Amino acid sequence: MSFLRLRKAPFVWLLEKEWRELLSSRAWWVMLALIGPLVGVSFISAVRTYAELSGYGGTAAGVGEAFSPLVGVWAPTFSACERAAAFLLPFVPIRVVAGDKQSGALKLEAQQPMPALWRVSAKALVLIAGWLLASAPALLAVLLWRGYGGSVYPPELVTIAFGHVLNAGLTIAIAAAAASLTDHPSTAAIVTLSVTVGTWILNFIAAVHGGVWERAADYTPTAMVSQFQHGLVRLDVTLAALTLIASGLAVAAIWMRLGASPIRRGYESSIVAAVAVALLFAGGFATTSWDTSEGRINSLPEADERALSGIHEPLRMEVHLAPEDPRRTDLENKTLSKLRRALPKLQVTYVSSTSTGLFEQTSAHYGEISYDLGGRRTSNRLTSADGVLETIFSLAGIAIPAEGDDAGFRGHPLAVPPRRAGAVFYGIWPASVIAFGLLVRRRQ
Amino acid sequence: MQVSGLTKSYGRLLALIDVSLTIRSGEVLGLIGPNGAGKTTLFECLAGVLPYDAGTIRVDGRPLTPRARASHVFYVPDAIAPWPAQTVRWALDFTVGFFKGDADRKKDVIERLDLSPFLGSRIETLSKGQRKRAVLAIGMLTPHPLLLSDEPFDGLDLRQTREVGAALRAHAASGRTLFLSIHQINDAARVCDRFVLISGGRTRGEGTVEELAARVNPNPSNRNPLNPMNPLSLEDVVLALT
Repeated sequence: MSFLRLRKAPFVWLLEKEWRELLSSRAWWVMLALIGPLVGVSFISAVRTYAELSGYGGTAAGVGEAFSPLVGVWAPTFSACERAAAFLLPFVPIRVVAGDKQSGALKLEAQQPMPALWRVSAKALVLIAGWLLASAPALLAVLLWRGYGGSVYPPELVTIAFGHVLNAGLTIAIAAAAASLTDHPSTAAIVTLSVTVGTWILNFIAAVHGGVWERAADYTPTAMVSQFQHGLVRLDVTLAALTLIASGLAVAAIWMRLGASPIRRGYESSIVAAVAVALLFAGGFATTSWDTSEGRINSLPEADERALSGIHEPLRMEVHLAPEDPRRTDLENKTLSKLRRALPKLQVTYVSSTSTGLFEQTSAHYGEISYDLGGRRTSNRLTSADGVLETIFSLAGIAIPAEGDDAGFRGHPLAVPPRRAGAVFYGIWPASVIAFGLLVRRRQ
Repeated sequence: MQVSGLTKSYGRLLALIDVSLTIRSGEVLGLIGPNGAGKTTLFECLAGVLPYDAGTIRVDGRPLTPRARASHVFYVPDAIAPWPAQTVRWALDFTVGFFKGDADRKKDVIERLDLSPFLGSRIETLSKGQRKRAVLAIGMLTPHPLLLSDEPFDGLDLRQTREVGAALRAHAASGRTLFLSIHQINDAARVCDRFVLISGGRTRGEGTVEELAARVNPNPSNRNPLNPMNPLSLEDVVLALT
């Protein structure tokens, strides 16, 4: 038996070593213990609100008829995982990577003729496995919801889970790169949290200034997770996340090569950065996306989409609305984001001279939307989905499709309180984590 | 292994200046020098865990490529506690598996370094001496023909120093070449066949005690200039040359 153990490939040994190191990491156990109550707070609050809107406790029944578990329960429940990925997860890869440097293990392991990228990949694989284990409370929430008689639409859940795994992968890659680049774990933690805060600042700037900032903000972890939480899988966003994960891990691997000079490592890191920028730019042209939500909340009505598929000329829209104008937010979220999926050749340009638009109201063109479809032009101030679609159909000379007989998604109201959830998330989960932790420590 | 002209600087500080030496197959070579002489820097450059600025390292006349180095040299740094949360037993198994070491040698290494009492202990809980022996065992289980060990006796008491010295001699007798960085000259004299003296980042001499003594006092009929009553010891040679 012991002979067979020693016959394992070095990479398998490395995986086992990383797994054992993860199990001995306090940062991981703390994350594991805290994520249960975090998910619990979000789930209990979401289910309670969902129940009230569905008519529980004397509130007017029927308000929640069009309520979807995706928006009402899963998006808020899984958002706890996003908070854990931002504030708890970074310390785990930092501990795993920086721990090797501080203990001297890296100097020993670096003498194995295995590419540094493999060593980083072993860490990343184990960390992702650790994250999946830590996401178990979200699975418990799904089981509880099923127990309440709630509806579960698997494609939505798979999409949300995929988005959160990508988000965790991003955090792991950034934290691993930071830990590899810096000499001390605390510096790595500051760098990683700075990146997170930096993406929030980018989102804020995008909301105020729009333009290129808005486009860049589409690829921040917050924006990415938000799309997955709405059941939308965008190929460009997925490619961007995978590119950033691969780049972070590559940089971590480069700086783990102790024998290479800092100048060489810096040069190689710049090449990785340049390739990443090129891939991000190229990925931006991928327009494919999938709406996995049961209620098709990211898509226009099917009849409209069928009619739009007959338009082959590029459509240009010039929207004279400031970034902070609520009409612009409405237009973007409820119409243009869906229209882009149906019309990949759509080009939207926002025009405004201020961020709020408050002092542009008197300008003659403010609020106007100009359309140019293959040379045919028109303009109006309609920002509703119906108004925009009617304008486009009229420009294309297509009859406005009649509404189908099928009224579409009606929602799954559920007027049930979150029974036993408190006991599961605040009692059983932390107690199980502590018991499991003690057992593992004893066995090691 | 032939090292010639090895130079390494940390910014403006020159840590190694034109270091040249030869490591002969099967010998126990001691690297001796005062603190800050550049011993650890030299080892790390030889092991490839630190880049150097200039110089060449050859094995059997061929330049040592990173791939060749990975199969030829293994370096055990000083003052490390690798995989602190794991047991000594697991660390030894990992070493054999990860570096494709010789599993049959494990029992002998455990016995010679007296590791049995703490095989099941986590590395972070070991005393300095126990940790030093555990780390040395890791080095002795690797398959590389040349083992570099930085301060193998640091943290050991007198009895342990002698036992570890004997274990290293026996290990070398099994066909492995050892290059040991030692600042305790008496320990070095007991274990090593030849010596490289280093001071201020420069090699100050290389050879057996007799060869080095001849450099200090070329005429054997003359008395020991440092201690007229006795012949030159390694201590005298080191003091004279560094």
